[in-house]
This record gives sequence, structure tokens and C-alpha cells, in this order.
Amino acid sequence: MQNVAMDVSFWILQCLNALQYAMLLFLLSVGLTVIFGLLNFVNLAHASLYMLGAYLGISLAALTGSFWWALLIAPLLVMGIGAGLYFTLIARLRTAGPMNQVLVTFGLIFVFLDLVRIGWGDIALGLAAPPALSGTLHFLGINYPSYRLFIIGLGGTVMAGMWFILARTQIGAMIRASVENTDMAAALGIDVSRLFFLVFCCGCALAGLAGVAAAPILSATTTMGITILIPTMIVVVIGGLGSLEGAILGSLIIGFIDVFGAVLMPSFSALLTYALLAAVLVWRPHGLIAARG
Amino acid sequence: MLEVKNLSKDFGGLQIIRDLSLKVEAGERRVILGPNGAGKTTLFHLLAGTLAPSQGEIRFDGAAIGALNAVRRARLGMARSYQKNNLFESLTIRENLMLAASAALGKSGKLFRDPRHDAAVKARIDEIAEQIALTETLDAQVSTAPYGIRRQLEVGIALATKPKLLLMDEPTSGVGPSMIDHFHRLLNQLPRSITLLIIEHDMDLAFDVADRISVLNFGEKLFEGTPTETKGNAMVRSIYLGEREGGEHNA
Amino acid sequence: MFYQSPLRTITLIAALCFLAIYASFGSYFAREIVIEIIILAILAISLDFCAGFGGMVSLCHGAMMGIAAYFYGMMSVKLGWGLTASAGIGLAAAVIFAGCVGWVTARISGIFFIMATLAFGQMAYTIFFRWRWLGGDDGMGGMRRFDLSAWGVNLNDGLIFTFWALGILLLVYILSALLLRSGFGRSLSGIHANEGRMQALGINTATIRTQAMAFSGLMAGLAGILAAQHTFYISPELLVWTLSGEVLLVVILGGIGTLVGPIIGAILLVLMKHSISAYTDYWHIFVGLVLIFAVLSGGRGIFGQGEYWWQKYMRGQHA
Ligand SMILES: Nc1ncnc2c1ncn2[C@@H]1O[C@H](COP(=O)(O)OP(=O)(O)O)[C@@H](O)[C@H]1O
Ligand SMILES: [Mg+2]
Repeated sequence: MQNVAMDVSFWILQCLNALQYAMLLFLLSVGLTVIFGLLNFVNLAHASLYMLGAYLGISLAALTGSFWWALLIAPLLVMGIGAGLYFTLIARLRTAGPMNQVLVTFGLIFVFLDLVRIGWGDIALGLAAPPALSGTLHFLGINYPSYRLFIIGLGGTVMAGMWFILARTQIGAMIRASVENTDMAAALGIDVSRLFFLVFCCGCALAGLAGVAAAPILSATTTMGITILIPTMIVVVIGGLGSLEGAILGSLIIGFIDVFGAVLMPSFSALLTYALLAAVLVWRPHGLIAARG
Repeated sequence: MLEVKNLSKDFGGLQIIRDLSLKVEAGERRVILGPNGAGKTTLFHLLAGTLAPSQGEIRFDGAAIGALNAVRRARLGMARSYQKNNLFESLTIRENLMLAASAALGKSGKLFRDPRHDAAVKARIDEIAEQIALTETLDAQVSTAPYGIRRQLEVGIALATKPKLLLMDEPTSGVGPSMIDHFHRLLNQLPRSITLLIIEHDMDLAFDVADRISVLNFGEKLFEGTPTETKGNAMVRSIYLGEREGGEHNA
Repeated sequence: MFYQSPLRTITLIAALCFLAIYASFGSYFAREIVIEIIILAILAISLDFCAGFGGMVSLCHGAMMGIAAYFYGMMSVKLGWGLTASAGIGLAAAVIFAGCVGWVTARISGIFFIMATLAFGQMAYTIFFRWRWLGGDDGMGGMRRFDLSAWGVNLNDGLIFTFWALGILLLVYILSALLLRSGFGRSLSGIHANEGRMQALGINTATIRTQAMAFSGLMAGLAGILAAQHTFYISPELLVWTLSGEVLLVVILGGIGTLVGPIIGAILLVLMKHSISAYTDYWHIFVGLVLIFAVLSGGRGIFGQGEYWWQKYMRGQHA
């Protein structure tokens, strides 16, 4: 009996870990995927914005003395950086083809990498979870860090919010129409370029938010962007470029495969993700939930 | 030569081709008439294998080809020119013809042999360039060539494969009268070893070139007969010719 | 479509001469730089072959190279095979990997192709990263250079090895050029220009694309074996996707679809990296800015832009 109870709590713990990772992936991939769906733009530098979010968050927390201010302001700063990118590069590369987009945003990764090294140095920086969330919570026979629960809650809230906006509001309907068919949406009188800009900024802010939120768990390093980029891209491609539901599904799949793979078959776990991606690309090249019919 | 039996095609519940049957003899010139949206281009897609039919059978040279993809059908000797130009835009006219000629002459997969220096390929390029009157402009870039020239090249690429069956989708759409005349003469000069299936809106050309005419409307074959029979058919006049008397070409 | 124009021949010869002279009269360090350039140039030619002429923008060329290097190391060091046979196995492994990737991705294009190659490359990276028998993330050493003493050639001499590598670079260029001007290569360009119309002409485009990737894998494999023999050491870092990204950068910098441009790109990138890192630790930012500038300035690259101006000038002369 004892053993079974231990087992069950072990699995609950793993489920929560998977869920927490999935939520982080979701915060990143949702911006990336909606930006792709709308602008037909693949922004590899999305993950750099995540890294910037973490570093800016750490500085802001030091400056204001409060994690919460950092969580609020850092995403806004990242959004500002995103807006700058939009006007200098993104807008003019929209029709330049995937190779040029990949190249330019690959270049941006290099630029941001060194900018962060210049600004914050090469050593990993930590960020303390706010006092209210620094303990653990006891439930279902397990002890779980309350900060990780907070991330699950944050991801869930954003997910619900996005769902509501896209499914229930007028701007959501406009976004969906534009993903479906940009020309048609423009013909219907939607100001597509303003919509693009708005969505791009929100996507960047979410990447920044993910960065600040991840900092207390993962601590900020110069490689954190590159490290998270690949799983994020995998989520987006598996789910279906441009699809919100796809980002949710993809995040959960990758989150669970990653965590459970590491527990059940440590030597193959990383391979599993890539194999899944390869399989999806071969059998359903446009992802599990294709954005365009 | 070509036999189509009870062919149907649905697009999401909408029937674009309905129970269509057609028989074209070897060497025949068959013109397909029909108003815009009648399903003519869709019929060509089904014949060439770029769309799969919902139902029906296609026989080419006596063999059922329904299960073959577009590549395999092309290899059997089917070629096609498109209503909307479908060219190798980034290449020159000569290179466009070279790709078609090498494909037809089996030089496309050859490693280490340059088709540019292949006598058979060169002869084919010159022959086709002469036919479509592009000898002077062979080295022009396609993307910057005028529309009329691109339109000729569209037919030239298909001709360069020396097909048994040539499907031409509105070859004269959007070109001027002198070019239509030239094209008219070209069609008359083509050897009878090539069977022609032409979708054409220019009536003079259609009635002159055609051995037989099939009229499509709403995906159904309304009528089939010689040009004279077609002209005299009241139903065709009311549905197709009548409708077109007012306007000129449509895009 | 590919043409070996006089301008390209001259540029090729000039680039090879520059490398030979730089290696001959430079220090030990100069020879290291030249070999680094050569390996990157081979890889970039290999990528230009399928991306510039076939439209297949791959992000797994690092993996193709790394697979050849690892199989060469595994056969010769771990299993004690002869060096030539090991090299053969290494090349075969790279060709098979590249061919499989080509075959599986033969029906996808654009960003999906880029992502798929990225995934396959990372898959290979992960395998070698985890494979303890081959050293895992520590990498593995003990590779040897070919023994050509029967011909009086000692590859363990730095300068001779540099010329050997230069010879392989030339060989790879000639192989690519011959393939690209063949019927196969012309068809590849046709597929790049309009895949659907090639199919309508009866060309099995999936076969051509698969073959092109396999040839590309062969050339990348040569770079891999050269890399293994050069440093006597290999690590999973050879396979990581950012390296493939840098190779793409080299191709763009020099001029995509020009075949000789990638050599120029490799020379520029490596020299730039080394001269910048003499002053500052932050060379990434320069590389990133150069890449962004290269794309925004029209994307023709250094050689491509020069060739474009040259052709324009020549047309002006004739008209
Ligand atoms: N891929 C498709 N999906 C849905 N409907 C289509 C598709 N292709 C063609 N159609 C419809 O089929 C009808 C016939 O088209 P088409 O064959 O191009 O006509 P035609 O060539 O005779 O002018 C048109 O109403 C067109 O809108
Ligand atoms: Mg039509």
C-alpha cells in the first residue's frame, strides 16, 4: 500500500512538472504560431525575446525590489523591442520568403546573444521567486513548489484569455479571418497591417512574460534562448503553424514527452521529440491542427 | 486514343464534373467549348492526373490510367499547356524549352552529360522555337518577357515533348489577333501523330480546326458533333453561343 | 541554371591561389585558418548545390558532415578498420542520411522543409550527444590522417595537409559543377523554378531531389572526414543546427546559386571572425549584423552582386 501511494504521488509530481514545462512552451509558441499564421513570418528571434525578458526581469526586480513589478514591466519592454524590430525588419521581410526570414532572424539571435553578454555578462543570473510563492504546497500527498503551480496557473490563464479573445471577441474574429485568408480579410475592410502589428507586439510581450516567469526556475543564461527555441519550433510545427489549438496541443505533447521520456527511458527521451516531429512532418506536413482549411 | 467513362468530380459536395463520357480518336482535333466555370480546366486536371476524380474511368491508348499520377501519365505521352502561364519564370526561353526537350528525349536524369551540347536536344529546341516564332528571343529571361511571348512559350513547352496527346487550355486567351492567326496556322501544321484536345474561346479558330466539338455546361456534356452540327444546334446556341454574342473575350 | 562562366573560373582560381599562398607563407596559425576555411567552403558548396540550385534550404548540413566524421572515427578508432575503408563507410553514412532526409522531405517545401531538415539534423545530433561509447558530449579523439607515404606524401605535415584539403575543395567544386551542368543538374534547376511543371513534363521530381540531397551529403561527408583528420578529434558540436545556420550564412554572404560564391563567403567569414575576435570577445554581434545586412541588401551576396554588376556592364557594352 505504501509503495503504491508513493508511486501515485511520484506520477502526480511528474504530471505537474510536465504541465509546468508545457505552459512555458505554450507562452512562447502561441506568439510564434499566431505571428506565423497572420504574417507568414517565422521569427527565430522570438526565443531571444524570451531571453531578454528574463534578463530585463532580473534587472527590474533588483531595481524595484519586487518580482511582481518585473513580471509586469519586463514584458512591456520586450514588446517595445518587438515593435522596433517590426518597423525595422519584420514588416519589410514579410514577402521575402522563408529562407531570408530564417536568415535574418538567425542573425538577430547572434546580435541579441552578444548584447545580453555585453549588458549582463556571461554568468548565469538567478531571480528569487516572490516571498508569497517561495514555499511549497502540500496536496494530494505531495509537496510541490508553489511557484511552479503559479506558472501552471499563469499559462492556464493566458490560454483561457487567448481562447476567449479569439473565439468570442470581434478582434478575435478578425484575427481568425485574417489567418484563414488575408486578402479576403483585407477586402472585408479589416485594417490588416494594424492587426499584424498588434498581434506581433502581443506575441513578443508573451515571450517576454515567459522569460521573466522562467527566470526563478531556470535562471537566466545566454544560451537559454537557443535552448528553448528548438522545442518551441517543434511545438509550433507539430501543432500546425498558425493554429492556437495546435500550440496548446503541441505544448502539452512536447511537455509530457519530455518529462515522462526522461523518467521512463532517459537515453531516448530527446530522440522521441525529434522522431515525433519527423513523423508529423511526413504524414501531416501542415501539423496536427492545420490553421488553414 | 482517349476514352473517358462516367467521370465525376466533387469539390466539397459541389459537383463540378458530372457523369462525363468522351471518346477521342487518334489524330483527332477535338475542341471543348463551354462558358466560364463549366469545368473545362477541371476536366484537364482529371485527364492529366493533377486532380483525382471522384468517380469514373480514363483510358489512354487502350490502358486504364486512372491509378497513375501526373508524372506517369506525362511519360505515356500526354502533354499540357495551361490557361494560366505555368513557366520556369527564373530561366530563359531556351532553358525552358531545353527542360521540356530533355525530358522528352530521356536526358533529364543523365549525370555528367550537358543537354545543352546534346545534338537531339538542340535540334528540338530550334524546331520548336521556329514553330512558335521565338527563334529571335530564345535567350530572353521569361520573367521579363511580354505576355504574348510567354503565352507562346506555354504552348512551346508542351509541344517540345512531342506528345501523343496534347491538352491545350485556352492557348489564345489574352493575346491579340495577329498572334491568334499565327497560332491558327500552327495548329493546322501540326502532324496528325499528335491528337489535340483544345479548350478554345475563339470561334473562328475553333470551328475551323476542330474535327468534332464537345460542349460542356455545369460539368455536363451538353452536345457533341461536327462544327457544322454544333453551329446548327439550338440548345448550344441558346446556352453558349447566345450567351457570348453580346460580349467579347472573357479572361 | 548553372554556367561555369569565365568570371567564375577566374574567381575560383584566385580564391584557391589566395588560400595556397596564405598557407605557404603564413604561420602555423595561418594554415589552421586556411583549413578551417576549406572545410567550411566544402560544406557551403554542398549546401549551395541543393539550396541554391534545387531550392532545398537545408539546416542539417552540419549533421551530414558530423555523421561522416563520426562513422570515420567509429570504424577506424573503435573497430580498428583501415582508414580508407573507414572513410568509405563515413561517406556512405552521410550519403544514406542525406538521401533519406531528401526522400522523406521530397514532397514538402518552404518553411516546412527547413523545419524538417532541422529536426532530422537535431535528431542525429542528439544520438551522438548521448552515445557514451563514442564519447557522448565529450566527443572522441584518436583519428588519424591517411597514410600516403607510399607516394612520398606525408599528410602529417601541416602544409601538405593544407594542400591536400585544397585539392579536395577543388574536387568538390568540379564534381558539383559537372553535376549541375548535366541533365540531372538542369532538372534540379527546373524543379527549383517550377516543380509542378517538371512533373507535367514527366520528371519524377522526388527522385531528382533525393539524388541531389545524396550528392550534397557526399560532399558534406568529405568535409566531415577532413575535419576529423584535421584536429584528430570530433564532437557533437559538428552536428548542431547553429553550425548549419552558419553554413547557410556563408552561402548567402558569398552568393547563393553561384557555386564559387560560397568559397568567397567562407574566406570572408573565417577571416572576419578571427580578426574580430583578436579585438573583442563579441564577434557574434558582427556576424549577425553582416548576415542581416547581406539579406537586406538584396541577398545576392558578395560574389553574386559582383557578377550581377559585371553582367549588367557587359550587356551595356553589347547594346
Ligand atoms: N480546387 C477547387 N476547389 C473548389 N472549387 C473549384 C476548384 N477548382 C475549380 N473549382 C470550381 O469548379 C468550377 C469549374 O472550374 P473550371 O474547371 O476552372 O472551369 P472552366 O475552366 O470551364 O472555366 C468553377 O466554379 C470553380 O470555381
Ligand atoms: Mg478554365
